[in-house]
Amino acid sequence: MKIPGAKDTIDEATFEQILEMDDDEEEREFSKSIVYDFFSQAESTFGKMDGYLEKKDLGQLSALGHFLKGSSATLGLTKVKDSCEKIQHFGQNKDETGTHDEPDDEKCLEKLKDTIAQAKQEFYDVEKILKKFYHDEA
Amino acid sequence: MDIFRYTPIPTLVLDCNKVIRQVSDSYLDVSYTRSRERILGIQLEDFFKGSNLPFLSASVTLEALVTAQATHRPCLLHEVVTEGVTAWSVRVVPIRHHDRFLYFIVEFNDTSEAYLKQLELDQRLTTNETFRILVETVKDYAIFMLDPKGHIATWNAGAQKFKGYKREDIIGKHFSTFYGEEDRANDKPGRELKIALRDGRVEDEGWRYRQDGSKFWANVVITPVYRGETLIGFGKVTRDLTERREAESRLISAYEESAKLKSEFLANMSHEIRTPMHGMLSALTLLLDTNLDPEQLELARVIEESGAVLLQVINDILDYSKLASGCFSISTDIVSVKDILSSVCRTFQPNTTAHTVMDMHLDPRIPASAEGDALRYRQIVQNLLSNATKFTEEGYVHVNVTLQREELDGYIILTEIVDTGIGVPPDASGTLFTPFTQFDNSATKRYKGTGLGLSICKSLAELMGGEIGFRPNPEGKGSVFWFTARLKRVKKAKVMEKLEETMAALAVASETNSLDELREIAKDKRILLVEDNPINTKVMVKMLKGLGFQFIDKAGDGRVAASLAIKDPCPYDCILMDINMPVLDGVGSTKEIRNAGITTPIIAMTANALKGHAEAYLSKGMDFYVAKPVDRKLLMKGLLKCLKLEELQEDEKPAETPRTEEPTTNGERSSGLLEIGAQDLS
Repeated sequence: MKIPGAKDTIDEATFEQILEMDDDEEEREFSKSIVYDFFSQAESTFGKMDGYLEKKDLGQLSALGHFLKGSSATLGLTKVKDSCEKIQHFGQNKDETGTHDEPDDEKCLEKLKDTIAQAKQEFYDVEKILKKFYHDEA
Repeated sequence: MDIFRYTPIPTLVLDCNKVIRQVSDSYLDVSYTRSRERILGIQLEDFFKGSNLPFLSASVTLEALVTAQATHRPCLLHEVVTEGVTAWSVRVVPIRHHDRFLYFIVEFNDTSEAYLKQLELDQRLTTNETFRILVETVKDYAIFMLDPKGHIATWNAGAQKFKGYKREDIIGKHFSTFYGEEDRANDKPGRELKIALRDGRVEDEGWRYRQDGSKFWANVVITPVYRGETLIGFGKVTRDLTERREAESRLISAYEESAKLKSEFLANMSHEIRTPMHGMLSALTLLLDTNLDPEQLELARVIEESGAVLLQVINDILDYSKLASGCFSISTDIVSVKDILSSVCRTFQPNTTAHTVMDMHLDPRIPASAEGDALRYRQIVQNLLSNATKFTEEGYVHVNVTLQREELDGYIILTEIVDTGIGVPPDASGTLFTPFTQFDNSATKRYKGTGLGLSICKSLAELMGGEIGFRPNPEGKGSVFWFTARLKRVKKAKVMEKLEETMAALAVASETNSLDELREIAKDKRILLVEDNPINTKVMVKMLKGLGFQFIDKAGDGRVAASLAIKDPCPYDCILMDINMPVLDGVGSTKEIRNAGITTPIIAMTANALKGHAEAYLSKGMDFYVAKPVDRKLLMKGLLKCLKLEELQEDEKPAETPRTEEPTTNGERSSGLLEIGAQDLS
């Protein structure tokens, strides 16, 4: 594994595919820009999620979950991706696997609250690892 | 002494010698005595001598006086004067001073009202008591009261017997204790009380649980109980129906078993009968070819005709019993609706009378060939047409076939047989498709048949994913029998083989070869990337550039994608399509692009990596499917396949129809990789 401490958090093959796109292995200009784009995208998405959580808008929360799932999947950020998928499901009034219906909005919101908090934590964890990888520990 | 004179209570005042010293006006009124003077100064015993008061017996009054005198205390005695009507009381108050009696005050009171009330109360108590004893001793029903909130308030022997709880264990508990977990979770008990309040009663059958956890099938009736306007609770009567239910299910299984045996028996028997019938009919055919004199020929023809009818009857029974026992399957082969109909109509043409016109109208949209069970489709048409010609003596028999609906993977074909025959009386139309019924017994005699034909048709239509029905001919006389059948689109084997070869060839090439090959093909191809997440877009663009693409357009949602792609000709050689997107999703966008007649390969990309999704996207007009995160090798494989396919299509196009002149050649294409080729190569 090229990234220290990333076991379980980052899918090696997927992230490596991004790293392979770097023209210069020292500069890592491309992958770094992608990763930092993701940081700001995640921050802003979590911000929006908090807003919709307040408004109890399940549909929007699901859409945001799916949106962030897409980019975290592309980067191979497995844990964040899995939590985003759960957000997507709860937002659709389903259980976390998306197989059973959960018609109770309040229950879904409760679970969304927990899962979003968890996703944030997972994001902050992987952000630390990635910043270290890009020698940006400020 | 005015007090005693004017008191409203009829009163006599006696001195120590029981001589009447004062009489109240009220006493005079009730005793109908006119003159006070005739009473005053008379000793009470003398006053009573030989006569009772008009309202109370003398003896009771004297008894009260004696008692008061003896006890030195006031004495009150009651007497029922007329049973069930009037009652009076007498109260004697002894007034003493220095151990001597001074006076006795004797008061009379009409207590009829109180007496009557008491009588009524006694009666009611007796009734209540009777009911209570009845309810408590009933053992076959659990009868008990709930308070308005549903807590158990009373308990009877029946309840204890089949719910297991003792009175002291259960009183005060909520009645939902008897319900199963699921019922409790969805608040069935609460809903039942609400319904009982709304409708005045609720009845339910379901599983209830005993104290030991075992369950029984119960019939429950809950009735709200009011006192005046106030709800005081609910009466609840529960019956144990477990035995009845078991008996029912035993009956049902016995019935099913016997029905199955019957069907099996019929199936076997009809088969056994059919064999010798065939032998007989074949021999008969040979016999008809020999030299028979006219009389013999006539007889032989009768045998032949009856034999044919008998064979039909046997075939019907065989089909019916197979359908009924569920061991009838629909086979899949190529169906040409037009050929079948022409052939069936030809068969029936001779059966029609001279006054009957028979014709056929076929919807031009009916596919020349489709996949389905040709034999069974034919059987339905044949049966309906046979009825129509049988029952129509003049007028027409029309056969109309229309394409009711076209779906992604098939067609729904509606076939109608319209005749001007005897029609169906309204009261019989309900049982038309029920086995062994014929709407008219006289018809049976006149028109031969088993009464199975239509019910067989019904089962067959349902097996073919369709329906069957009847309505009167709107033109007045006769009937319209119709049925629908679902036929699948044809997969063309030839095309599949060819594509499989191509793909096999692709698979053999090594990865580096593929990359080189793709880079070679890609450099002058234009590609459209549809993706709403900017990060994914950035990564995909980088990846595509790495694969040799130079012309990459981007669209942030399906709407933009459609407007970019729907041009004449379409500017793209391949479209990479995300599925979940705002404004218009990938499936919708693909639909619009395909509806515009554009055949450019579309590769679906999505993180909804569930099994079966790939097939679903392919059926929605996409050609390939890549799961997210997009794997470079898989993407490469998909792109190669799609771009090569494009080239293949270009090559296979007839020279005289260049693409630019006829952009909608493949406009009908709506599903799947394999069918792109199908349209072009067939």
